[in-house]
Amino acid sequence: LRRCLISMDMRRMEESFRGIKNAIQAKDTFQNVTILSTSETLHSIKPLDVCCVTKNLLAFYVDRVFKDHQELSPQILRKTSSIANSFLYMQKTLQRCQEQRLCHCRQEAINATRIIHDTYDQLEVRSAAIKSLGELDILLAWIEKNHQGTSAA
Amino acid sequence: VPCVSGGLPKPTNITFLSINMKNILQWNPPQGLQGVEVTYSVQYFIYGQKKWLNKSECRNISRTYCDLSAETSDYERQYYAKAKAIWGTNCSKWAETGRFYPFLETQIGPPEVALTTDGKSISIVLTAPKKWKKNPEESSISLEQIYSNLKYNVSVHNTKSNRTWSQCVTNRTLVFSWLEPDTLYCVLVESFVPGPPRLAQPSEKQCVSTLKDQASTLKVK
Repeated sequence: LRRCLISMDMRRMEESFRGIKNAIQAKDTFQNVTILSTSETLHSIKPLDVCCVTKNLLAFYVDRVFKDHQELSPQILRKTSSIANSFLYMQKTLQRCQEQRLCHCRQEAINATRIIHDTYDQLEVRSAAIKSLGELDILLAWIEKNHQGTSAA
Repeated sequence: VPCVSGGLPKPTNITFLSINMKNILQWNPPQGLQGVEVTYSVQYFIYGQKKWLNKSECRNISRTYCDLSAETSDYERQYYAKAKAIWGTNCSKWAETGRFYPFLETQIGPPEVALTTDGKSISIVLTAPKKWKKNPEESSISLEQIYSNLKYNVSVHNTKSNRTWSQCVTNRTLVFSWLEPDTLYCVLVESFVPGPPRLAQPSEKQCVSTLKDQASTLKVK
């Protein structure tokens, strides 16, 4: 079964994130909460579920995080918009995979995504958005690690 | 006896120095306290957990670094650390690091380089650097197991023509044949992982000479 992999230049997103990392993470004062904690959630995702989890996480960021994040700094806004555009591109890529029925969602993948949404909902919305943006390095590292190899898309 | 917090200036430039997941917290002494015998205490925090934890081996120390490798060995988690200065009954506020992510921030040390020659060609065998481990008895984890996209920048310098040839490879065995006779070739190798920029450490330079009277051009097998 061919896997649905995103072939994407991660460098630009990583660079954009590095430009906002310290500022965003400094605003995240709830160090005792993590939304994408890799050990409990992302780290345990099986190859078979990577496409579905990726699709759900991209939607989580595009539909919730980027929308909920209110930012005054034009420099941070530029960087987050650049990342958001890259996420929209990846979503289109995965859309094609879904049409080829290569992006099946098993219960494990759905549960993993629900944990992330539930944790997000427990925080005040602005704080939740800031925390999720501050954890983009976790997501980008996970995407790079799990989407290496030949791309079906 | 609890100290009076804020009575001293904070340590400065507190950061993690991380190489192959050996994670050392380091800082500069507070400014304006030259000649004063200040000591320090350290705490660390696992992002997503509940509370700050003391590093007992780094309580009331006079050095300005603390090895937190064991406490930060789960490289896919993220961490904070902090240090404060103490002098008598006075102490500073905590100086805190940013969020530290070993998986993305550790420097990748050089590979081991084995260089051999039959007089006409050079063989280079690389051994990937190893993750820091607490006890020598523990089994080693190669950084290739952590970074499946680990690559090597191999540089071969012809000391006679003063020209350097470099290539980025993923395989760990290279053979350079058809080399110039009677020439000293020096080899440097750097490991690197595609992704966020990391400081790189080249291997120690190793040199080997070819024998006299052979025809050669540089070719990688």
